Amino acid sequence: MTGPILQFEAVDRAFPLAGDRRRHVLRGVDFSLDRGTSLAMVGRSGSGKSTLLHLAAGIDQPTAGTVLLDGVRLNDLPDTERSLLRRDRVGLVFQFFHLLPHLSMLENVCLPGWVAGDSATATRARARELLDRVDLADRADDLAGKLSGGEMQRVALCRALLRRPPLLLADEPTGNLDEKAGRQVMDLLLRLSSDEGAGLLYVTHSREQAALADRVLRLRDGRLESAQS
Amino acid sequence: MNPRLLRAALAHWRQARTLTLLTVFGVALGVASVVCIQTLNQGALAAFGGGMKAVSGDADLTVLGHGPDLDENLYPTVLAHPDVTAAWPLVRAWGRLAGHEDAYIEIVGVDVFAPVRFPVRLGDAGHATGDVTRFADLLHVPGWVALTPAYAEELGLAAGDTFTVAVADRLVTLEVGALVDFQRAAPLASRKLALMDISQAQHLFGHRGRVQQFDVQVRPGVAPEAVAAGLQERLGPGAQVLTPAQREQNAAGLLAAFRLNLTALSLISVLVGVFLIFSAVHASLVRRRREFGLLRSLGASRRQVLGLILLETAVLGLAGTALGLPLGYAAALLNMETVSATLTSIYLLSEIEQMHLPPLLVAVAVVVGLGGALLGALLPALDIARRDPVVLLGAAGLPERLSRLAPRLALVGVGVAAAVMVWYLGGGRAYKVSGFVLAFFLMVVLPLWTPLLLRETVGRIPPGGFGWRLGLRGLASRLQSTSFAVAALAVTVSMLVGITLLIGSFRATLDTWIGQTLVADIYVTGASWQRDLGQTWLADDTVDLLVEFDGVAAADLQRRLETRTDQGRRVRVVAFERRGDAQRRKISRVPLLAGDAETVERRLLAESVALISEPLARQAGLDVGDTLRLRGPHGTTPLAVVGIGYDYASENGVVFVSRATLEGMFGPGGVAAVALTMAPGRDPGAVMDALRVALDGRAVELRSNQRLRAEVMDIFDQTFAVTRILQAMALVIAVCGVSLTLLIMGRERATELALYRCIGATRGQLFRLGLSEGAGLGVLGLALGLAGGAVLAMILILLINRDWFGWTIRFALPTADLVWQGVWILGGAVAAAVYPALRASRTPATELTREDLL
Repeated sequence: MTGPILQFEAVDRAFPLAGDRRRHVLRGVDFSLDRGTSLAMVGRSGSGKSTLLHLAAGIDQPTAGTVLLDGVRLNDLPDTERSLLRRDRVGLVFQFFHLLPHLSMLENVCLPGWVAGDSATATRARARELLDRVDLADRADDLAGKLSGGEMQRVALCRALLRRPPLLLADEPTGNLDEKAGRQVMDLLLRLSSDEGAGLLYVTHSREQAALADRVLRLRDGRLESAQS
Repeated sequence: MNPRLLRAALAHWRQARTLTLLTVFGVALGVASVVCIQTLNQGALAAFGGGMKAVSGDADLTVLGHGPDLDENLYPTVLAHPDVTAAWPLVRAWGRLAGHEDAYIEIVGVDVFAPVRFPVRLGDAGHATGDVTRFADLLHVPGWVALTPAYAEELGLAAGDTFTVAVADRLVTLEVGALVDFQRAAPLASRKLALMDISQAQHLFGHRGRVQQFDVQVRPGVAPEAVAAGLQERLGPGAQVLTPAQREQNAAGLLAAFRLNLTALSLISVLVGVFLIFSAVHASLVRRRREFGLLRSLGASRRQVLGLILLETAVLGLAGTALGLPLGYAAALLNMETVSATLTSIYLLSEIEQMHLPPLLVAVAVVVGLGGALLGALLPALDIARRDPVVLLGAAGLPERLSRLAPRLALVGVGVAAAVMVWYLGGGRAYKVSGFVLAFFLMVVLPLWTPLLLRETVGRIPPGGFGWRLGLRGLASRLQSTSFAVAALAVTVSMLVGITLLIGSFRATLDTWIGQTLVADIYVTGASWQRDLGQTWLADDTVDLLVEFDGVAAADLQRRLETRTDQGRRVRVVAFERRGDAQRRKISRVPLLAGDAETVERRLLAESVALISEPLARQAGLDVGDTLRLRGPHGTTPLAVVGIGYDYASENGVVFVSRATLEGMFGPGGVAAVALTMAPGRDPGAVMDALRVALDGRAVELRSNQRLRAEVMDIFDQTFAVTRILQAMALVIAVCGVSLTLLIMGRERATELALYRCIGATRGQLFRLGLSEGAGLGVLGLALGLAGGAVLAMILILLINRDWFGWTIRFALPTADLVWQGVWILGGAVAAAVYPALRASRTPATELTREDLL
């Protein structure tokens, strides 16, 4: 497949308020992301960064405009098809890790493979390989609750990459980590997404971390205010 | 308590409608099962008391015989007592209405000149209208009988109409002389009571010179108990003088085991309901922790928070009680007929025709509903009340503590089990209720072991995919919710399985027993046998005709009556006599538990000895070689016990003697039933047809061997019919618990479900995951319940049955019943999961918040 992995064309997102009023979170957002490249999205709290990620993952739908994921128009797609598209082509990393405490690290990483119904053996092998790449292979069978914040985010990163998604979306992946752990996770995120040939879109508050991306976009009051290469 | 605060708290329950409905429903079903059983219990006793009051009026004492009746010549002796101001004899007989299958009438013959008043209202056909009493008609119109207006209407009879009843093998024509509303004097009296002149009754029903009882009025100011003692002395040991309270006590004693077992069963529903309340209140409080944190930070004390929670639970408990009361009463009405049939066919008591909800029972229902709700809410309420406001207001959910506590709880369970066993083996066994104590603690220990069992079994299952194994693993991760649902289901399944094993084993044992004892081809009884249980006799010429009938090789003649042992224990005395072929046969074919068959046969024929049934041996502590003393009209007769036999006909005990021995004790008497054995090569069906023709005009009932066996099994099934509704109620509560738990889980783990959606799980996948969790809860409850049920079955069969009834029941596995129950339980659990699974599947991916997950 050629062409951008993610495209936003004049995307609006508004939420209804009481009466006829609406709250516009995104207005006329246009951008695209190619495979193997990275894009950092910066902006203040409430600027619409998370909404943008939701739209990119097909979790939410735009009020106007078009979102194309790997060339597929997400608007108006039924929920099931959007779920399947997300399952096969998107990896998500969250600020708060979202690991299931009653599962081991390995099992947490395997989750997307289980959801997709992939071969259990192949899934486990791939999960082990990824954990090895983030230096957690020897603790693969420990429960997730026993890890430090940085380790948890590394596991979450492995989970996002398990099915080799062409698009990786990360919502403030270091927002809940100390500086050192944050730097480690950012390095891993960029390196692994590049190794896997995935497009990476991440949201961050940190200028320093944003500077690590190929491109940076700034959201202010729902508009893309400036962009730099 | 500030009413505004309570209103605000209750607003939560209004919003969480499903949770509230399930909680109220759980309380309601628990209350309903208790109300149902207690209404039936009270109805049974009230029917007896009502009948007694209708017949005996305000008599202070009643003189009864030992055996079916009394000599009427004792009447002057009764009247001669200086403190007796009045006494009147009564004759009682059950008649089956000709042309009405299973319609019976209890006819009471009264002395119309006795100083006792009946509320007689004459009919209008051929009689003067108005409230006057026409004694003259009563005496001179043959078969004059007064019916209740209700029963006359039911039978389509009016004053002046005639109808035929069968008493023993006699067909008697009666005329409706008046309509008598007995229920005006005794509201709980049976509508099937009928009244006639005593001498007519004696003549028509073959009670010449005999009466069933004398009712006695004592001088005002004299204690009836004192007069009873004096009368007893004058009448000798052949009669018994009882106060109304003693008669009611006797009836209550007769039903004690039956009532206690049903009460214990109904309490299981309450226990399961308490689990459900616990889950609901816990879930509600966890969801509202910030509300309580806010209250605490605004200055509310721990006690105020605790009070608020308990008060709102009390409101739910009262709502459940209000719903449970009519529900239980309706269930009692639905079961009235089957319980009534059990009372009449097994305990020879009156039918229950109407029931009431006395204020005391309403109070009991409130205590059960309110108490159960508060008990269920207490632990979660204490837990929330003692937490600091900071923890309650914090973003993170309350930590799952049960997983950590699981080993300690299991250890407490082991301790409880050990303590109960030590108590039981160290002397507790001597108490009759010890079996119930063991059963109760089994139901306590099971829930204590549940969290650890869940943690160590399903908690270790490798998920391996997005399916049922992941669902099971999820169940183990939320023990605080799931272990209560599993425990509730396990307790219910234990009860279901335990009772199914008991009934199945009992049924198989009974089947084997009737196979050994019912070996004749045709059984002949009088038409009213089912009600008077053979205390009336077939005419001698009927018996002769049967014995000598073409094709009959042998006939076993049976006489039976009810009397008491010298310790007051009610027993049935049965005597057999063999006529016909010279083949050596047992007087009774009772399989022996103790004693040698040859000796038993020889001594029964030659001496005044007895073979007694197992329940009597156990309850009276008798063994072979001991002496049984039976009361009769001539005093107490000692009978050496030569054998103990298996018998399942009466839980009170049966005494088998020779006919000569019975006549020696109770005087000459007729034959109540005849069992005919065909000559080789003769077809019982053809002989039965020929007998019907030969017996035309006599009110006899002919039963083939097959029909009699079927009737015995029907009575057995009828006896346990009421347990089915209790089982169903408990199961519904437990299934509600499954639904509630899954709803709670869906809410508590919205973040987890949202994560699944984020990584691409479809709604269908989440729905199937929810269903598999419901099935998982069902399987776990079933597995634990099967183990508990097996233990409970042993307690029921080996301890409770032996202590309360005294039967030997051999274990049998009613496989088909158990499989069907398993299917129902699993089906119920999956059905209960549908709605929660649908709700869970609609969890949006945007629900992903920081709570709950790591």
